[in-house]
This record gives sequence, C-alpha cells and structure tokens, in this order.
Amino acid sequence: MNVIIVGAGNLGSSLARKLSDLGHRITIIEKNPKAVSLLPRGRVDSGAMTIVHRDGSTSAGMLEAGISDADVFVAATGKDSLNGLAAQRAKLIYRVEEVMTVVRDEGARTLYDSLGISTINKASLASDYFVTMLTEEA
Amino acid sequence: MYLVIVGGGKVGAPLASALINEGHEVFVLDNDPDVVTDLQRELGMIATIGEATSVRALQDAGAARAGALIAVTNSDEDNLAACQLARTNFDVPRTIAIAHSPENAELFDLAGVDLVVSATDLVLANLATALPAHPLIKLMPLADRTMELVAIKLPASGTAIGRTLSEITLPYGSKIVLMITSEGHSKDPDSDPLIEAEDQIIAMSPANSTAELWELLTELR
Repeated sequence: MNVIIVGAGNLGSSLARKLSDLGHRITIIEKNPKAVSLLPRGRVDSGAMTIVHRDGSTSAGMLEAGISDADVFVAATGKDSLNGLAAQRAKLIYRVEEVMTVVRDEGARTLYDSLGISTINKASLASDYFVTMLTEEA
Repeated sequence: MYLVIVGGGKVGAPLASALINEGHEVFVLDNDPDVVTDLQRELGMIATIGEATSVRALQDAGAARAGALIAVTNSDEDNLAACQLARTNFDVPRTIAIAHSPENAELFDLAGVDLVVSATDLVLANLATALPAHPLIKLMPLADRTMELVAIKLPASGTAIGRTLSEITLPYGSKIVLMITSEGHSKDPDSDPLIEAEDQIIAMSPANSTAELWELLTELR
C-alpha cells in the first residue's frame, strides 16, 4: 500500500518504521527539515521511504507526496485542528480510501466518526491498555 | 441573538463591537490573555480566555445556546475545527468562518461550514474596485462555488460597444442579469439593450468560464 503520514514526531516516525517493515511504501510530510531525526535513515537513503518537506495540510504538500496514488493517509502532527483539516482535505478533496487522524481532545471524535475518518487518541489507547493489564492481573 | 465569536483579534474585536451595536448578545473566545483583557476593557465582560478548538472552552462560552458561531482566528485549521465542533457537539444552527487561503475556502464549503468568507476573494474584490485597469469584481460565490456573480466594467474602446446584447455569444452557462450605465441607470438584459461605453455588466457565470466572459466583454478594438 501507498501510505502518506503527516508529521514525523514520535507517533508518525514509529508508524512509518513499522509499516515500512511490512513492505508498504511510505511518504512522510514534515514541514521542519530538522524534525526528521526519528525516521530510519537507511530506509530514507535507500529510497524505501520518502520525505517531503512541505506543509502537509496544503494541497501543494499533499500533491508532492503523491496523494492521488495514496491508499492510506494519516494525520499525525501535534495539533488536533491541523490534523483535522489535513484529514478532511485528503478525504473530501482527494478521496483517499482510508484516512486516520490523531486527536487529543476526545470531544472531536464524534465529528470525525461522522466523516468516516478514523481517530487515534494516544492517551485513551494507553489508559485502555493499562486498565486491561491491571484487570488481567487481578 | 446569542453569538459566539472565536478569535478576538483584528477581525474579531471590531466584529464583536459592531454586532453588540446591532443589538446582539456576543461572547468572544480567544487564547491570548492580552486580547481578552483589551476586549473586556473595551466592551465589558464579554470575553474569556480559551482555545477555539477545545470542546470544553466552547461549552463554557455558551455554545449550546448560541444562534451562530463565527470563527475569525488567524488560523484556518482552528476556524474549521471550531465550526465543526460547534455543530456536532452543541448543535449550533449556523456556523460562519473566515478562510485565509483560497483552497481552504473550498474545503470549508465541502466540510459543511454554512458561510465561508474567503479573505483572498475579499481583497481581490476591493483591489478590483480600486484598480480601474482590472475591472472584474467577484461579488458572490453561488451554488457551492461552481457559479459566481461577477461585475465587469466595459472599456470605452471595447469591441462590444455599439452592439446589442444578443449579438454577443456568451460562454456556455453564463447569463447577464443586469446592466448599469455610467450614470447609474439600469438596463434590462431581456430587452436586448445597446451596449455602451463604461457600462457595468452584472453576470452569473460558471466559475471556470469567468475569465473567458471577461475577455469577451473587455476585448479592445
């Protein structure tokens, strides 16, 4: 699959690495050229992973990343509203099949559910995981 | 009407003041404490510190009883998020947002914002009235921006001058809705009027043929 990830932070970089391990084509859009240190350098050098230094919420950034051939689009910047705008552009304008966005504010989940955009809430996932561990121990 | 304005800066502050003067009950949300202090000094306790995109802050601002939410921060993504959260979480009946980038104006429309004000279009419209060399004014987007209402001023030495309206073949889908002479008199397009120098033409045009319409009407002899 062709996967576009916006944001090379902890989550974006880790996701890029894992999906790349599974053989998917990854393009990361990261505005800040200095913020890509978490990406596996070997993969980038060998061309298995591409980095686009643009604003990933704009059409220009998305087109350069090859949005028209993307199967999956993940908005993983640190700003909820920017993720929301990028995810909606990918879904509504470029009709990407699978669109996911990172959210911090749980209140935004209803909105994205209604738009067919999957949400990832790190805090909620982590706490669910801890609860599961604790319950299993008991 | 109770109105929540998100963003109390250069656009939001005068907007709040104008709407209060029109008799509306207004509340402003802004994340900058200085902006909020200024607003409170100027207009009373009608502003509070909060993030535009926080459901909790919108709730505290009384979004649940708002007749409309107007998002005018400097950040397009925050304006979109505020409108959408107001709609989905608080059933705000009408959402209005400014979009600073033209491609975001299009996206806001698709994403369900009720009224999108495109900052670029506004500037272009004003520029066009100020620059006589560029006499095309986009007055209003229509039908989800597939159409638009435009005003075109005819140059004195244009090829269209001296002909009647029916002698001009307009681009497909375009329609002249009104003609106004330089003295301010109106001419009914249905009566096949004579086209005179300095006439202003108000037309409904498919957005992608406006340029063609403009070239046709302003072509010089």
